[in-house]
Amino acid sequence: MPASSEQPRVQRVLTLAGDLHARPAGALAVAAARFASSVSVTADGKTADAKSVLGVMGLGATAGQQLTVAAAGPDAAEAVAVILAVLSEARMAGD
Amino acid sequence: MSGAVVGIVLVSHSAELAAGAADLAAQVSGGTVRIVAAGGTDDGALGTSAAKVELGLSEADSGAGVVVLPDLGSAVLTVRAVLTDRPGGRVVLVDAPFVEGAVAATVTAAAGGDLQAVAVAAAEARHARKL
Repeated sequence: MPASSEQPRVQRVLTLAGDLHARPAGALAVAAARFASSVSVTADGKTADAKSVLGVMGLGATAGQQLTVAAAGPDAAEAVAVILAVLSEARMAGD
Repeated sequence: MSGAVVGIVLVSHSAELAAGAADLAAQVSGGTVRIVAAGGTDDGALGTSAAKVELGLSEADSGAGVVVLPDLGSAVLTVRAVLTDRPGGRVVLVDAPFVEGAVAATVTAAAGGDLQAVAVAAAEARHARKL
């Protein structure tokens, strides 16, 4: 669903504690797809739709890189919070 | 969203290839989707089996429909023959890269996507770049 300019936008940046391999990418995509908001992840200048597992894996994001999680839409804040929790649970989120 | 999750059937000429792709897709998606490997002939040789596809469709369907992914074009013949004898089922045969399609479809199903969304996710896997 395209987000209008009036819908909330939320963005958080974290440092990856591990490489973004297939399983964490899958967990991230499954979590992101449950939200109405558009959700994206950006690493090293490349942005992927967080709801696309192949897109997230295609980022090739590695430990130590900054990962930007951004959402736009009615449930943007919850979406970003859940994505961060999923990455944390997968031990992917450093400080 | 209903409780039923779209199922996936992977039809390959190789039993090992189908089983490996199913295992990979299940692990990436968290193991909540019925993903059935239908690979090899009835006697375990390279080829496809209408009986295995038929059984796979039954095992994968929990009420939300099934997406079927063939590995190569000739698997399509077997799937089509089975679907001709099995009218009315909510089954979609999708033209997609086998591994990427299996992973994308299973993740979308795990997230609660409906039959159409899962089929689209598999088909769009064709455009995903690895590099």
